[in-house]
Amino acid sequence: MSKDFVSNVSLHDFSLWEKIRNERKILAFDLEITARCNNNCRHCYVNLPADDKKARESELSPAGIKSIAGQAIDLGALWCLITGGEPLLREDFLDIYLYLKQKGLLVSVFTNATLISDKHIQVFKKYPPRNIEVTVYGVTKETYERVTRKPGSFDAFMRGLNLLLKNGIKVRFKAMALRSNVRELPRIAQFCRERTKDYFRFDPLLHLRFDGDAKRNSEIRSERLSAQEIVEIEEADSERSEALKKGCDKLIMPETEHINCNHLFYCGTGNGSFTVSHDGYFLLCSSLRHPGCIFSLKKTPLSEISKDFVLKVRDMRSNRREFLDKCRKCGLFNLCLWCPAHSHLETGELDKPVEYFCEVAHARAQALKNNIDKQ
Amino acid sequence: MEIKASLNSIYKPSEDVVTRDIQGEFIIVPITSGIGDLEGEIFSLNKHGRAIWDKLDGKKTIKDIAKELSLDFDGAPEDIEKDVLGLTQELLKKKMLVEAGKK
Repeated sequence: MSKDFVSNVSLHDFSLWEKIRNERKILAFDLEITARCNNNCRHCYVNLPADDKKARESELSPAGIKSIAGQAIDLGALWCLITGGEPLLREDFLDIYLYLKQKGLLVSVFTNATLISDKHIQVFKKYPPRNIEVTVYGVTKETYERVTRKPGSFDAFMRGLNLLLKNGIKVRFKAMALRSNVRELPRIAQFCRERTKDYFRFDPLLHLRFDGDAKRNSEIRSERLSAQEIVEIEEADSERSEALKKGCDKLIMPETEHINCNHLFYCGTGNGSFTVSHDGYFLLCSSLRHPGCIFSLKKTPLSEISKDFVLKVRDMRSNRREFLDKCRKCGLFNLCLWCPAHSHLETGELDKPVEYFCEVAHARAQALKNNIDKQ
Repeated sequence: MEIKASLNSIYKPSEDVVTRDIQGEFIIVPITSGIGDLEGEIFSLNKHGRAIWDKLDGKKTIKDIAKELSLDFDGAPEDIEKDVLGLTQELLKKKMLVEAGKK
């Protein structure tokens, strides 16, 4: 018998990853437990009003969520992200959270923190999440509520966030950079970095809504920063610009220009993870909402869907010349928000280039090249 | 205070951990705070560790478990006993096991 029974290895070095590298095994899933939110953010691609009856009725029941999660666990899932909308809006949030924890999942939660209560804190302290990721829309009442359009939301956010931090719950931060808060972005970054040892990220790339709401999509477009503004905020944030410079060889890949392939998907969608929409659909990733790429988990078990369905979707092809010549061969795809899912949200088609994404990607690439030339 | 594992004691998995078998990798997942540290690490048992874990059922003493394992695994009985005791001690330290009695 060997004495080396135990291995305490870093997640990065765990032998399981190597074992399943090419097997498309499910390791992680996102549970979007509601599309409703108590805020009304200008840039949000999901939020429906907190009291939206139709949205509420379409949500998976706790039993439905538990059944899907149980199936994912049986297939080997280890990580689970609870997201929304605002997941804490659901009165059964803690019941769902505890179920997932007690099944041995490593659970993360995305929240705006405005609804955090002592009850949540008690549970998070005893049954710690892997992390709570809090979105910060502004660090002043004026900016925060300009984005959320909800009076009182800034005070609620600060109260909830302070409760989390005071009780030692592991918090990560993210911010979306949009027209309504861009002037405050450096202060947002500073606020976040001062409050976490973990990472803070900001994202200036806004995509359109899952429900295709034309009025809301127009609001999102008006919140988008220009390509030049995006470059400027990325360059102004030293942590971000250093990371971009470091990853440069993976961000600009001229060799892609010689690719002669008409596959639509060249990202990792569906490889090892999936999303469950609030109304029980299996999605290869949270943005991929095209009717031909989703499947109802209310009717079909996960084990029957996942492998063949994912392979079928990932094998989809395009014959659109514009896509094949412009996007498919583009060496800037890692700097671009373009993907079939976002193309669908923008244009209704999975394979149409999107001029705005293209402008941003080229501006970011040019800035990177300029920086490298300077060195 | 650290609890010392003993040959005549009986142990069982803590209710605060869950075990998972993922594609043949056996891992122990803490579900409450203060047990192990899964922040950046995975706590897994190999084939031999798992064989011991499976016998830590709240009924058998460490001595009984070592005796049973010596039928399935090569090695001197006293070495196997030492191994079982060593792993039990480590799991106790991590609060992944609890004592369930003595004989």
